[in-house]
Amino acid sequence: MRIEKFTYDNKLTKLFMYATILWGFVGMLVGLTAAFDLIFPALNAGIPWLTFSHIRPLHTNAVIFAFVGNGIFTAVYYATPRLLKTPMYSKKLGSIHFWGWQLIIVSAAITLPLGLTQSKEYAELIWPIDVAVVVIWVIFGINFFMTLVKRRMKHMYVAIWFWIATWITVAVLYIVNNLQLPTSFLHSYPIYAGIQDALVQWWYGHNAVAFFLTTPYLGLMYYFVPKAANRPIYSYKLSIIHFWALIFIYIWAGPHHLLYSALPDWVQALGVVFSVMLIAPSWGGMINGLLTLRGAWDKVRKDPVLKMFVVGVTAYGMSTFEGPMLALKSVNALSHFTDWTIAHVHIGTLGWNGMLTFGMIYWLVPRLFNTKLYSRALANVHFWFATLGMLFFAIPLYFAGFTQSLMWKQFTDAGYLAYPNFLETVTQILPMYALRAFGGSLYFTGVILFIINIRKTVVAGKFVRYEEDQAPALEHDAHGSKENLQWGWHRKLEGKAIQFSVFAFIAILIGGAIEMIPMFMVKSNVPTIAAVKPYTPLELQGRDIYVSEGCYLCHSQMIRPFRSETERYGEYTKAGEGVYDFPFQYGSKRTGPDLAREGVTSLPNYKPNSWHYNHMLDPQKMNAESIMPPYPWLITRNIDIASTPAKIRAMIKLGVPYPKGYDKAAIADLEMQAHEIGENLRQSGIKVDDNKEIIALIAYLQRLGTDIYKDKE
Amino acid sequence: MDNEKKHLQKKDEEYEIDTLTNDRLIKGHDYDGIRELDNDLPPWWKWLFYITIAFAIIYSVRLFVFKAPDLIQADEYQNEMASYQASKAVAKANKAFEVKLLTSDADLAKGSETWHKICAACHMADGGGLVGPNMTDNYWLHGNTVQDLYNVVTNGVLAKGMLSYKDQLSDKARLEVVSYVLEKLQGTKPAHPKAPQGKKYK
Repeated sequence: MRIEKFTYDNKLTKLFMYATILWGFVGMLVGLTAAFDLIFPALNAGIPWLTFSHIRPLHTNAVIFAFVGNGIFTAVYYATPRLLKTPMYSKKLGSIHFWGWQLIIVSAAITLPLGLTQSKEYAELIWPIDVAVVVIWVIFGINFFMTLVKRRMKHMYVAIWFWIATWITVAVLYIVNNLQLPTSFLHSYPIYAGIQDALVQWWYGHNAVAFFLTTPYLGLMYYFVPKAANRPIYSYKLSIIHFWALIFIYIWAGPHHLLYSALPDWVQALGVVFSVMLIAPSWGGMINGLLTLRGAWDKVRKDPVLKMFVVGVTAYGMSTFEGPMLALKSVNALSHFTDWTIAHVHIGTLGWNGMLTFGMIYWLVPRLFNTKLYSRALANVHFWFATLGMLFFAIPLYFAGFTQSLMWKQFTDAGYLAYPNFLETVTQILPMYALRAFGGSLYFTGVILFIINIRKTVVAGKFVRYEEDQAPALEHDAHGSKENLQWGWHRKLEGKAIQFSVFAFIAILIGGAIEMIPMFMVKSNVPTIAAVKPYTPLELQGRDIYVSEGCYLCHSQMIRPFRSETERYGEYTKAGEGVYDFPFQYGSKRTGPDLAREGVTSLPNYKPNSWHYNHMLDPQKMNAESIMPPYPWLITRNIDIASTPAKIRAMIKLGVPYPKGYDKAAIADLEMQAHEIGENLRQSGIKVDDNKEIIALIAYLQRLGTDIYKDKE
Repeated sequence: MDNEKKHLQKKDEEYEIDTLTNDRLIKGHDYDGIRELDNDLPPWWKWLFYITIAFAIIYSVRLFVFKAPDLIQADEYQNEMASYQASKAVAKANKAFEVKLLTSDADLAKGSETWHKICAACHMADGGGLVGPNMTDNYWLHGNTVQDLYNVVTNGVLAKGMLSYKDQLSDKARLEVVSYVLEKLQGTKPAHPKAPQGKKYK
């Protein structure tokens, strides 16, 4: 047996770790700002990029792709070489990966607050950045898979399995959900519309949680928990079963984001049953994490790293039990569109992702800098800030979600909505929003302590760039035939990186394909409604403004089939109504009322043009207690009229039945309709020009949901 | 017999014992110092998985084979609305309602509450008007009697953006708010009164 010597380079691990800390700080600070925006709507000071609807996507993207993303890469670049006994394949690819990823984050941080967005949650980035993401992801993939090829360990450890599944699935999800038709360098339309777009988006959105926030962090857990505790993994068999079950089942669960929507019953049912079947595979990970600590519980009491891991893994267990419960239709009828979902997500992110990241870095830094952690006591204080912060964040929001939902559904004895004014249900829960901001502040304070501690440790130590190691050279297939353990077939597979990856690829394709292909191929899934017509050019421009301003982040456009919703908002939303909606605007949260039928004059939510004008300018003038931020720039900014022909041409390409050559006539139609609305506003004593964004937005709002009401009016 | 013995012997060779838990470590499973135990799946975990799979099968059969009405949302909605319509018919049978100005403090307080929750969005809290007309002056677009105002609130004036509130507010609630306008808002001095609209009444 030939022993080979080789060297690990810690430089990229260090860089990714610093990036994790930096973007964690930024992403959470933005989140905190968003939390305060909700309590003090005037906090945006009339500045678009400080407004909730602009910074909420920045917060989610920053904490997911920048904080957790860099956390994943820190773990992968540190653990993969050590688990496989070989350095990472290429330093150059690693550097391109690192700097490319940071550049993507910076460009996201610039474009999202400016309102350059696709409006698909966690896939908001505009198409040029999407292209960059795919390129960098492929570079990461080459570097990672080539390291597998070059490995000296015959078998791949379970952490590596999870990272293989992560890379493959994220690539598939990201590309499929981001297929789009550009109309300019900064703008595009997705190739899917309405309910089909929604299904693709939530297949992506749910599995971004699964394969970006969960599987790579399970890999992280499988390396750093046994390392930090110096204990063996509880059960190899459990690793095998829960890995395959998890990646196969997770991909089906997306439709649970669209329960009681216009999605056909059969797809909803698949979303429900696969979500429920996810409990055990998820808990498999929790068990393997927690029970690995058997025999080390005395250490857990003292060691902040292990404490964080325990709370993190427990939070994972809690939120993966809660998730399937929220996917039951009867629970979802209550929870959907409320703050309950926000609370649920933050148990996962603050608990699982946050705690695991902090624990990993507290463990890594002394090793990377050949020193001791500056202060164990400070890390313990951080632990308590983080734990209490998480609880103060989540518990008030559970209460808020529950309260608001019951108020929405409450009827008086006489059969009227008990709270016909949506705003009443908002003011009721504002104290809970304040408590949430307090919880967020606690958590963020913990992060500041963390940064101080890490900084002091780094300064006290000296960076260990290279570490020597040695291992026997890998002899291919020398032992293959000898393996006949109970799980021999799987053991063999662990020795074959390519076959393993192919099986994982097949496992994650099945669910999505079975749910999505019939939605596109079988007409009965999206029944045609003859009354539904394409948007006018002005409405289309208004719709793009609605998308750009992020209205969907607080206003849904999906009336669910409940009496409490149809009484409040009108006829429930049908699949056939969305066929020209590129992208769909169903939304996922109702901080304000649903707008799906905002334009229907016979419904309770209808407002005249002048109301909309005054309301965008100064919402508190219309409703003193409203928490909607002001959007005064809509009144001064001009509609980008010149973009109209390109947009119409893109729509025609996507199958919207505008007459042939309509792109040339569109501007004239736009100006005519804008003039009508302008005149109407001027009659109400409002001084406004026809070419302002507010005119287009009003045109869109007054069109919303009206098509199927045309016969009734 | 011989084979089994061999097998057991072989098993022993493949394991070591973890001294802290007395569980068996799998030989040869050592990744950067991380070992793996040969523990079986916890039985309760297996049962949890089986039960959720059983749930999935039953749920699917109920929907796909038996078309259970509680899993088909269009049916579910129809049932909900039908049971409501039935209860409404009963409620309608015992009502006698007269449109007559209310003056009691309790009624006017309720009227005020409705005014601030709903009407103030367009007519402003002090009644001075903004999108909707001024309610404090003595100019009226659609008449100034209790019945006139009640009709406007009930049926709306859609052409001008005034909604119908008959499905949102009970008969009593509409009468309360109309009474509030006539008793409390009329003749007050709002901060920013909208210019008079309609015909002046004496």
